[in-house]
Amino acid sequence: MKKKKRKVGSSRGCRKSKPALSHSQANGSRAKPNPIYHFLALETTSLRSSVPQCVSWREQRTGAMESISPFHSLTQGVNYSPPWQDLSIIGIAGCSGSGKTSVAMEIVKSLNLPWVVILSLDSFYKSLSPEEHRQAHANQYDFDCPDAFDFDVLVDTLKDLKQGKKAHIPVYSFAEHQRQPQTTTLYSPRVIVFDGILALHDPRIVDLLDVKIFVEADMDVCLGRRILRDVRDRGRDIEGIIKQWFAFVKPSYTKYVDAQRQVSDIIIPRGIENLTAIDMVVKHIQRKLEEKSEQHKEVLRNLGLIAAKVELPPNVHVMSSTPQFVGMNTILQTAETQQDDFVFYFDRLASILIEKALDMSPYTPTTVETPQGNKYQGLNPNGIVSAVAILRGGSCLETALKRTIPDCITGRLLIQTNENSEEPELHYLKVQPGIEDHSMVMLLDPQMASGGAALMAVRVLIDHGVQEERIVFVTCAAGETGLKRLTAVYPKIKVVVGRIENEAEPRWMEKRYFGC
Amino acid sequence: MASKAQVPSPAQGVGPIYRPDGEKPTATVSKEVSYDNVHVLPQTPQLIALLTMIRDGRTARADFIFYSNRIIRLLVEEGLNHLPVVEQSIQTPVGRDYLGVKFEGKICGVSIMRAGEAMEQGLRDCCRSVRIGKILIQRDEETCMPKLFYDKLPEDIADRWVLLLDPMFATGGSATLAVEVLKERGVPEHRILFLNLIASPSGVAEFAERFPKLRVVTAFIDQGLDEKKYIVPGLGDFGDRYYTL
Repeated sequence: MKKKKRKVGSSRGCRKSKPALSHSQANGSRAKPNPIYHFLALETTSLRSSVPQCVSWREQRTGAMESISPFHSLTQGVNYSPPWQDLSIIGIAGCSGSGKTSVAMEIVKSLNLPWVVILSLDSFYKSLSPEEHRQAHANQYDFDCPDAFDFDVLVDTLKDLKQGKKAHIPVYSFAEHQRQPQTTTLYSPRVIVFDGILALHDPRIVDLLDVKIFVEADMDVCLGRRILRDVRDRGRDIEGIIKQWFAFVKPSYTKYVDAQRQVSDIIIPRGIENLTAIDMVVKHIQRKLEEKSEQHKEVLRNLGLIAAKVELPPNVHVMSSTPQFVGMNTILQTAETQQDDFVFYFDRLASILIEKALDMSPYTPTTVETPQGNKYQGLNPNGIVSAVAILRGGSCLETALKRTIPDCITGRLLIQTNENSEEPELHYLKVQPGIEDHSMVMLLDPQMASGGAALMAVRVLIDHGVQEERIVFVTCAAGETGLKRLTAVYPKIKVVVGRIENEAEPRWMEKRYFGC
Repeated sequence: MASKAQVPSPAQGVGPIYRPDGEKPTATVSKEVSYDNVHVLPQTPQLIALLTMIRDGRTARADFIFYSNRIIRLLVEEGLNHLPVVEQSIQTPVGRDYLGVKFEGKICGVSIMRAGEAMEQGLRDCCRSVRIGKILIQRDEETCMPKLFYDKLPEDIADRWVLLLDPMFATGGSATLAVEVLKERGVPEHRILFLNLIASPSGVAEFAERFPKLRVVTAFIDQGLDEKKYIVPGLGDFGDRYYTL
């Protein structure tokens, strides 16, 4: 990912700027394959000594974070909400050098979930005027007061994320003290850990937080850490650090930072060293996530019940059982079939599905002239047809896709069903730019059982601006209830399905195709 | 959208069934023929668009090859459906029973040179190691009658189902002669499938009557023939456009 050049030593020392998202693999991944963490890392300042306290939970029944439960299956409009629509946001405030970021990292590590993001308040610094910029370089600009942050943008960003929408995180350059023209796109995290000296300052933000943490450390420790860090890592002189400390950091602490204790749910003394407290926070979040996961699964179950009562709509095209088609299906399903045969017949069958899907794209009449000068009134395809493969299985269909459209633009989503909770999880996405203007987007997945992953994938496309009626879901085999569930939620999408199979069929086709 | 009156008949709105008729674009579709042994591919918008592409004189050779191959694969898939299968019960990798079918009988392709050879790729895409025989038939410039110049066919062709390949079917002279050659080699008429891209209505009717047990699978039956016996509107010389132009 892009890394901002950072200016060392001049401006305000205490800021390490890492305003871009950076990925790192989980270190202790247990059940899940390669969870991806996003770090919008950053850290801030401030300080003061404080008396170590016991961890204290506050009553937290305000219900603010339980934004309207999106899981209502109304009679006429059937809704699906992806798990990230009701994501959990954890706010961590505390003085500079108190160890907020370390606590945030530790929470992320302990959660060991895919799609956990650390969002830093520092990304929301306001751009400085030339005059302020000059002050900043002379250590005379106050980076620690609330006015330095653009809380309005932050509130909008968090609200968007809370609603499951795509959010654009500003990228702030500490060298230039300017917000950069580019932004970092953040979509579909399950948990956001939001840290910053004033993370709990704005009441509008506090309302959006699920857990509010205040990290506390002895003021001497904070100052000590800050001096060590700034001298060692940022080449600053002690005099400048001390000057800034007393001019801005400490006053801000007294005035604003410390006040945030009042709204916090939990105060963690000694920061990262306080494993008991971190463990409690993690357990609490895990419990919340389990509840949400249960709700999500419950919605999927309810959708299934609704769906069971309806007929398959005409926009679901089940391939007719011609002798060849059934024959190919027989070879594909035979356990003894060799892998090279499997791949051959799979590609052949998939090519038929893709050709069928293309019937659903728009065409306009046109008249062409043959080499002999005869006219023919035919059709021309309209616009760009692109595809999105639901990984890993979806990539099996790409050979067939390329046979039909050799240069087909293809996006990718990695959705894996969690083996423990049986809940689909979005791990990765790379959606083609301009997808909202494509005349048709084929969503490729060789097998669809309950439709959980399909629902999620369709939702992702819609969130990226694709009109529902332009989505064609292409699959070799699908459960009937899953199909009905999908079309009950998204009645306008089209589906091309090779054959109807048992609802409870586990996914196995990609194993056969890839041989592992 | 052009009204139906302006479109040479048979004009029809083409599109998937869920789409209301008014929203289907109108195009000229294949003529219908009333022979049980003539099968025309479903006139889907996708097929019409592919045919539009290869009929268009401005389409470059690379595109012509690509798009005609796609139609040919559709033809082969449809043709293969006329081959016999037997029921077969199997167990799937997840241990479930499935009652499927197994392909029965040996097949081979026979292409009528040179245009028919252009269909071999599409056949091989669907049947990997298929044997392919060849027949060279040329129109005698003086008599305008087709004449057999060369043939090379699998020795056991009499035991096989034959997919006879020729993309353009105008008067059907070459195809008729090719069928006669196959029958001479002992291939029963009912085991011959004639795969064809564009046919003339008169030619295909005559052919279907002459060989009632043979099956024709075609993508499109065109308007008719011009005075030079070329298919109208047709697409020009298929072999030239595929191999040389």
